Amino acid sequence: MSAYVAFARSGFLTSFAYRNEVWANIFGKLVQVFARVAIWLAVYAGVTAVDGISISDMITYALLGGVVMGATRYDRIVRHVGNALKTGDVAVWLLKPVHYPLYLLAIEAGASAYTFLLAVVPTIIIVALLYGMQPPASAFHGLMFVGFCALSFLIHFLCAAIFGVLAFWLMTVFSLEWLLQSLISLLSGLLIPFWFFPEPFGTMASHQPLAWLVYYPSAVWLGRLDTIQTLLYFGFGLAWLGLLAALLALLWHRASSRITVQGG
Amino acid sequence: MLRRLSVLLLLVRMFVKSQMEYRGAFWLDRLAQIISYGAVLLGMWILLQKFELLGGWNWPELALLFSFQLLAYALGASVSFTQLRDLEELVRLGTLDALLTKPINTWAYLIFSGLNIGYAGHIILAIPVLVWALLAAQVEWSIGNALFFAGSLLSATLVTGAVITMIGAIALIWVRSNHLFSIFFGFWELTRYPLNIFPGGIQAVMLTVVPLAYISAVPVAVLLGKPVPLLGDFAAPAALLAGPLLVLVAVTHWRYALSRYQGAGG
Repeated sequence: MSAYVAFARSGFLTSFAYRNEVWANIFGKLVQVFARVAIWLAVYAGVTAVDGISISDMITYALLGGVVMGATRYDRIVRHVGNALKTGDVAVWLLKPVHYPLYLLAIEAGASAYTFLLAVVPTIIIVALLYGMQPPASAFHGLMFVGFCALSFLIHFLCAAIFGVLAFWLMTVFSLEWLLQSLISLLSGLLIPFWFFPEPFGTMASHQPLAWLVYYPSAVWLGRLDTIQTLLYFGFGLAWLGLLAALLALLWHRASSRITVQGG
Repeated sequence: MLRRLSVLLLLVRMFVKSQMEYRGAFWLDRLAQIISYGAVLLGMWILLQKFELLGGWNWPELALLFSFQLLAYALGASVSFTQLRDLEELVRLGTLDALLTKPINTWAYLIFSGLNIGYAGHIILAIPVLVWALLAAQVEWSIGNALFFAGSLLSATLVTGAVITMIGAIALIWVRSNHLFSIFFGFWELTRYPLNIFPGGIQAVMLTVVPLAYISAVPVAVLLGKPVPLLGDFAAPAALLAGPLLVLVAVTHWRYALSRYQGAGG
């Protein structure tokens, strides 16, 4: 266990070494959050509420999207596996007394913690001060939001790791990274919440695992789900987490027994 | 001159051949990119089904903006992005020193030996959407408008190439430049939307310091007869002149950066 804590610490400190990139990242994220807020202001165009959702709700939704998706980077995880496969490093990892997917999780947790503290928090504070942000609907919803954020990080990691491990069969991570990007941009709720999707696509989208990345944490904060629904969908999220973890374990088991090392 | 051209053509041919070595993987990557950009377009469509207008622009007009931006970006980035992004690594490892001794212009060698045909996916998606959007968006066609469309697309391509070249060339002075591409892509994503929806500060930045408004929002607004913030009547000539002017700036900047290059690798 202490090895994984050390990996997480290393992930945090490695990010610290590339401070210029962090500043550039903060600036990039700031622009993107501003853009999302600007898009909602533009589509609402003076109307106070659409389908019971106010413009203030949507600004908060856009900011929360930045909170839950700002730190974790699926591309970093997918590329990590791709590079390990290309250079042959993955063979070395198989020799070590650590579980490679858990090592990836530890490194990503460290790097995400760094980006969250130094890039996401300042960005959100700046935009929230400018545009205003609603508090959570209740103390219960605020508390559950933290739980949903943890679920979001873990599901995000598992999806990225599954796509990364698929590279053992496809031998390229480029297309896998782009495919995951398209799925996340449309099905996580980052750009458009599912309550604005035409039916039945809204219902379908809100039951697939990527919905727990942005849609549910933000919907819970805004109080769009009552107490029972919040707990129920937290349970569904846990079930998806278990399924995805089992799928990753299975894929990793299969992948490590059929590995072909190209580099070295 | 002809001999130089034939060398450049040979470089392109060799690179294309190496890229097509893994033909299946190449087309799988293109398919993934088409799906990814298609998802962005689908997201816009879903939004417009609900709200009808975004900053006064309807669905065909936004599809025109999206496809114009994608095409101009793909054409400009194919002669700049991957080559200039990798320049940082050439500087860090000292590989650039070897390129500097070659009896050929360093920029030309870099660009043509890595001419990125991977942007084919962007172009395959952009052209049909552009054709549909041009028909659906009710553009008032005239000879002047048609010439403006062609000229502004060329200018937008030049803006993309020039801005990316300027960012990449910074590696010659600072060794690192890739973090600046994060800022570039932050602004680049905004160019899928009309300029008038953004706060005044962002509009001003995108028309001056990071002049990416000229790769889509300005030319497409002019084509559709929509007002352009801050530029007003000057928008049409600005869209046409931005490309050639920025190329001149990029050439000067490249020469300056090369003169400051001291080497970092060994």
